[in-house]
Amino acid sequence: MKRLGAGTATAAIGASLPASARAAVSKRKVQYGMLIDTRRCIGCHACSVACKAEFDVPLGSTRSWVEYIEKGNYPNVSRNFLPRLCNHCSHPNCVDVCPTGATWKREEDGIVVVDPNICIGCKYCIQACPYDARFLNPVTGAADKCDFCLHRVSRGLAPACVETCIGRARIFGDLNDPDSEIARMIASNPVSVLRPSMGTEPNVYYIAADHTDEHEARRQRQYIRVTTHRKAQERR
Amino acid sequence: MGHELNWGLPVISYLFLAGLGAGALTVSASVFLRGGGGGFGNGHFAVARYGALIAPLPVMIGCGLLVLELGSFQTGHWFKWLNLYKTITLSPMSIGTWLLTVFIGISLVYAYTFLPKDASAGDRLEPLRKAMAWIGVPLGIAVAIYTGVLLGAMPSRPFWNSPILAMLFLLSSLSTGVAAILLARALLHKGKRDADVAQSSYLLTTSDVLLIGFELVVIFLFIMFAYLTVGDVGYAVSVILFGDRSMEMFGANLAVPFWLGVVLIGLLIPALIEMFYVSPKLLYQRQFGPPYSVEVIVPVAVIVGGFILRYVVVVAGQITGPIGI
Repeated sequence: MKRLGAGTATAAIGASLPASARAAVSKRKVQYGMLIDTRRCIGCHACSVACKAEFDVPLGSTRSWVEYIEKGNYPNVSRNFLPRLCNHCSHPNCVDVCPTGATWKREEDGIVVVDPNICIGCKYCIQACPYDARFLNPVTGAADKCDFCLHRVSRGLAPACVETCIGRARIFGDLNDPDSEIARMIASNPVSVLRPSMGTEPNVYYIAADHTDEHEARRQRQYIRVTTHRKAQERR
Repeated sequence: MGHELNWGLPVISYLFLAGLGAGALTVSASVFLRGGGGGFGNGHFAVARYGALIAPLPVMIGCGLLVLELGSFQTGHWFKWLNLYKTITLSPMSIGTWLLTVFIGISLVYAYTFLPKDASAGDRLEPLRKAMAWIGVPLGIAVAIYTGVLLGAMPSRPFWNSPILAMLFLLSSLSTGVAAILLARALLHKGKRDADVAQSSYLLTTSDVLLIGFELVVIFLFIMFAYLTVGDVGYAVSVILFGDRSMEMFGANLAVPFWLGVVLIGLLIPALIEMFYVSPKLLYQRQFGPPYSVEVIVPVAVIVGGFILRYVVVVAGQITGPIGI
């Protein structure tokens, strides 16, 4: 079991700090995040399948998916994998636009959640998400998306996609705890987030992500194909 | 085209209908409050009456269409949309919901004051009518602007994410509102011509030319800044411009409906025809009297153009996104 919470780390750090700093540490908020090491991803879709099974996601919809990026002209070619999910942004635009308060960023762990009992399915948040992470659940009629497996995480388990990843490409944990595995990995590796220019401050980080987009085919004068493996065949 | 349109015809129609209704109320209330002054003479009450009776219906139909497109409604949760009224947030849609609710109430009361057959300036409903008109002017403008703010609030939609979009929608709303009043008058009072009617038609038509002129300026600014910008916005707006970029990337070419539908049919042709009939009176004080066919065709063109504008904007915003990942 990976260490998720800040509990033990807080106690360890707190002991060696002055009282004021100790108070600051214990009040520190948890911000769950994910680091995806694409060098370890083999594009097997186990994460997508685990997610489907965990939430019984209706056919045709995806909370978690893996994109293939194929590029190059023979013999210089490559295929890279980009696992995708909700970024649980620090400035979630989807939350800003929700008219009913059905979606919010949880104070306690920074997870962006949707309450399908409040959501009326206006699809405003689906428009607002720069990552196309949200979809309208055809069964509930409400907006739906990855919630970092809140039901598992709140019991100390890792999210289903993390648990199932055979390449150990996914690391989940508290970004605000400098002692957590994810924080240490982010500190010691070159990482990137998707579409930082949107100003949403995503909390899903990537190591060695291929940021190539289909639009770049013209400029780079080479074959580029992005396969999203979801109903929306093109990225937003 | 691999893009899914989350907002389709119901939302497009709503944006058009709400704009038309808001424009009609604003124009009606403004003309009514101005009274006989400003050159409208005795015709002002009739103009205000048309606008007042037109205003509530399209807005109510539009709101009904919005409910039909809700995911909750489509899965059998018929009244879940009432959740909108349990809160008020800074979301443009939340503010818009309350604005529209107040708008429907006010515009219905305002229309009621014009219902009696013998309704006239200074009758017993006048105080109520006046109060509703004072609220109606800012309310109509607010509803017209909010529809643009609603779309403009998202960086993830570079085509919509422009402060000038709300301005464009406001001008289009007022213009289609005026057109609706002119059309209703032409259809319902065919052949009835007196000096008052001619004078108020003339003033409305003149203001329509002005509104269309401003609309053309705003569209020019919208396109020009996008065209001179590199990156997301430049790419997004290229879908409505002619050229290889839009043809290559999108199965559906929006350049045709934009240039032919919005600019030519909706703006240039009506403006030129209106100017042709307005100018003689404006310059040489000649009699203003366009033929009946023109009185009908010009407002219809403006209204059709207003709808195509909403269509192009809503679709273009959804088939484009930020470049890169």
